Amino acid sequence: MGRSNKSGKTFTRRDFVKATGAAAGALTAATILPSRGNAAKADRIIIGHSQEPVQYNPLLYVNRGTENGPESAMFDALWDMNEKGQFVPNLATEVPSIENGRVSEDGKTWKIELKRDVKWHDDQPFTAKDVAFTYETIMDPKTAVRSRSGFDLIDGLKVVDDHNVEIVLKEPYTPFLWSWQEMHIVPMHILKDEPDINTSAFNSQPTGTGPFKFKSRTAGSHIVFERFEDYHRGAAKVKSLIQKTVPDTMVLYGQVKTGEVDYMMTSLPYDRWDEAAALPDRAFVELPLPWVQFIYFNCGKPQFADPKVRKALYMACEMQKSLDDIYLGRWKRTLSYLHTSHWAYNHDLKDETPNIELAAKMLDEAGWKVGADGIREKDGHKMKFTMSTTAGNTARQGCQALFQQNWKAIGVEMEINNMPGSVVWGEYTTKSQFDTLLVAWAPIVGMDPDYTARCHSQYIPAKHGQGSNYVQYENAEVDALLDKGAITVDRAERTKIYGEVQKILLDEVPFAPQGGVFGGFVMDKGLTGVKPNQYVTDSTWNIQDWSWS
Amino acid sequence: MLQFILKRLLYAIPLLIGVSIIGFALMHLAPGGPLGVYTLNPTVSVQDIERIKVIYGLDQPTYIQYMRWAGNMLVGDWGNTFFGGRPVLIVILERVPATLLLAGLSLSIAILLGTGIGMLGAVQRYSIFDYLATTGAMFALSFPTFWFGLMAIFVFAVEMRWFPSGGMFELGEEGNVLDLLHHLVLPTVVLSLVIVATWSRYSRSGFLEVIGQDYIRTAHAKGLSNRLVITRHAFPNAAIPLIALLGVQMPFLFSGALVTETIFGWPGMGRLFVDALTMKEYPVLMGLMMFTAVFVIVGNLLADIGVAMVDPRIRLEG
Repeated sequence: MGRSNKSGKTFTRRDFVKATGAAAGALTAATILPSRGNAAKADRIIIGHSQEPVQYNPLLYVNRGTENGPESAMFDALWDMNEKGQFVPNLATEVPSIENGRVSEDGKTWKIELKRDVKWHDDQPFTAKDVAFTYETIMDPKTAVRSRSGFDLIDGLKVVDDHNVEIVLKEPYTPFLWSWQEMHIVPMHILKDEPDINTSAFNSQPTGTGPFKFKSRTAGSHIVFERFEDYHRGAAKVKSLIQKTVPDTMVLYGQVKTGEVDYMMTSLPYDRWDEAAALPDRAFVELPLPWVQFIYFNCGKPQFADPKVRKALYMACEMQKSLDDIYLGRWKRTLSYLHTSHWAYNHDLKDETPNIELAAKMLDEAGWKVGADGIREKDGHKMKFTMSTTAGNTARQGCQALFQQNWKAIGVEMEINNMPGSVVWGEYTTKSQFDTLLVAWAPIVGMDPDYTARCHSQYIPAKHGQGSNYVQYENAEVDALLDKGAITVDRAERTKIYGEVQKILLDEVPFAPQGGVFGGFVMDKGLTGVKPNQYVTDSTWNIQDWSWS
Repeated sequence: MLQFILKRLLYAIPLLIGVSIIGFALMHLAPGGPLGVYTLNPTVSVQDIERIKVIYGLDQPTYIQYMRWAGNMLVGDWGNTFFGGRPVLIVILERVPATLLLAGLSLSIAILLGTGIGMLGAVQRYSIFDYLATTGAMFALSFPTFWFGLMAIFVFAVEMRWFPSGGMFELGEEGNVLDLLHHLVLPTVVLSLVIVATWSRYSRSGFLEVIGQDYIRTAHAKGLSNRLVITRHAFPNAAIPLIALLGVQMPFLFSGALVTETIFGWPGMGRLFVDALTMKEYPVLMGLMMFTAVFVIVGNLLADIGVAMVDPRIRLEG
């Protein structure tokens, strides 16, 4: 059998190997193409994120940062927040204030006039009915709306005519401007007949009034937006915007270096900042992000009921060292829930950490004496507790290890108990089941200094079913100050009020501030018009002004 | 044969129901839930979260949630995602081609290469080739896939710029086959590497066992050439356990390669699974689980049929 094969075969095994080799070679040559010249570059901007936006309806769930991109590209709010911390008009002709007569003296009636030349992406005119519809949808119990913060204070919203809206509030609320800045307006003519907005096709193929129109989405890869020629603030400078998803941060960084991505929207790991800042043709921006990292003390637990104990625990922590060693000095120390660069930050606050001797003395005075096992105790309670945060966050684990050591030195035992994000930030947090947390949180209403939901005694969800005062902090003086701050309009006056709140919070430490979070972002040096803005979570807030130099 | 297939498919029904019940129960027993992600958004209050819970039906007892899900599945409704409300079936199906391409290509290449290497290693046992193959396999198995992936990107994408560092197509080149091949090279090589390593070990030991059998010695004694002994007598026998193994590997085509897909930004099912797991997207997780379960069943069925075809001793009876 073998012999007959040998004699009759003209295509030998050797030939086969040769042919396969040649084919493989040709294929390899064809696929190793030289990097393509980017002729289209002037016409498009590619932004890169490590996460993929899952939906684009501005009323529903938002993964801050990731979904803000498509939102600010396709939608508009009544007004925006600029990089100086000022509100600037967008769909409204003017930002309402008492001075311009659009807010009544008692702060309850708001008159909003809308621009007349605004069109939706499908050429339909934008009117006051869209604003009313957006509000009604937010308040509709069937809508899985992401937040009603501020909107629940509205007593009535009246459409005066096509371009005027009048809102009456139940009580004056200064941060109300932020509520609308964070909420983009959706089209009534498309959504009014939608049986269920939560599953509407609109959520993945929306129509907005923003500078870019939705063009296409390639699942798991990228979204393409196209310039909206009739944009009311003037057509965007570039023809298309592409939001790319590159899940691995280091690969994303590689792509911004090779030019496959123009702007890396995910913050770079801290150890790469120096390298990134030295890259030729790339600009590197360090920006305060809205978050401040805290140790949260659950005041409802016997160990933390006494403010003196909390203060002592705070004083024992090497806060500055944690920032220098773990966050490589990129984060800045802050003593309140605001960054030191925020207009309302109280600069009279003094950093008293670390002071181990004083901390130990304060615990002694509070009645917590060192027991036989070296751990402090009082009335049968041991000074032992857990600290939780998202498992796998190595930087936070480093902080926990440091604080654990600091506390051990004063006879306090802390056990690290980290859990997956969906566990630790679920009912474990919202029902105040934790001992302590290590967590970074942004202010409640945009970047307004109002902190009612986080530390007002009526906002403890475990007791009153509302708010986010998870530490269960109660202080009548703070309550009164927060109530006053929410209705005070004058900025100097508000600075004073919130300065006092920050002082009391630092004395009683329901949450111990560690540091203000900073991010490092890399972009092509040729990009112009980019305005890094510490007051908003969307880096693309002014995307219509971006272009290539 | 037909009766056998029908019978196996019938058995699959209670199996799938069991899998779905256990999966659903485990998912809900695990602490935490899809609403945890809302807590990190400071403007979301506890009232907001309670309201959203009712809208998604998460306030209902688990068995009612399961009955609802199962009832919908029976009529072909896979449900909608919590975040964005998109139909789950579409969310899954739009990821299938990418994973099928990458995993299928890697698996085919790896199995051909792996079997070849294992075979040669077994035939020329203790030769330089055998030692090299064994060492190579140990090397490939000892390093994590993400390391190979990052190194490949660093060397061939960032430094030499021969290949793109990720994604499936260059922007604007969607549908261009050459561009797709260009993007496929690095992830395929990285993914194949580990499979080649394991597969070459399987096939080497499989062949070694077969080569030692009496009938091989008989074949040699008959005066057959070495090549014929290997291809005609040793290969089909050594292939039997490998085919069964292949059946078990089938679901890999769909569950995808988590690490490789993440490193190379490959828009496949593996990443969908990771994302859904992070967000606790129950409907997507259930959908993916059912998908994978079906393919485990089908893969094993195909493997059984394949083995029966290769091995005349096995008869499939109903």
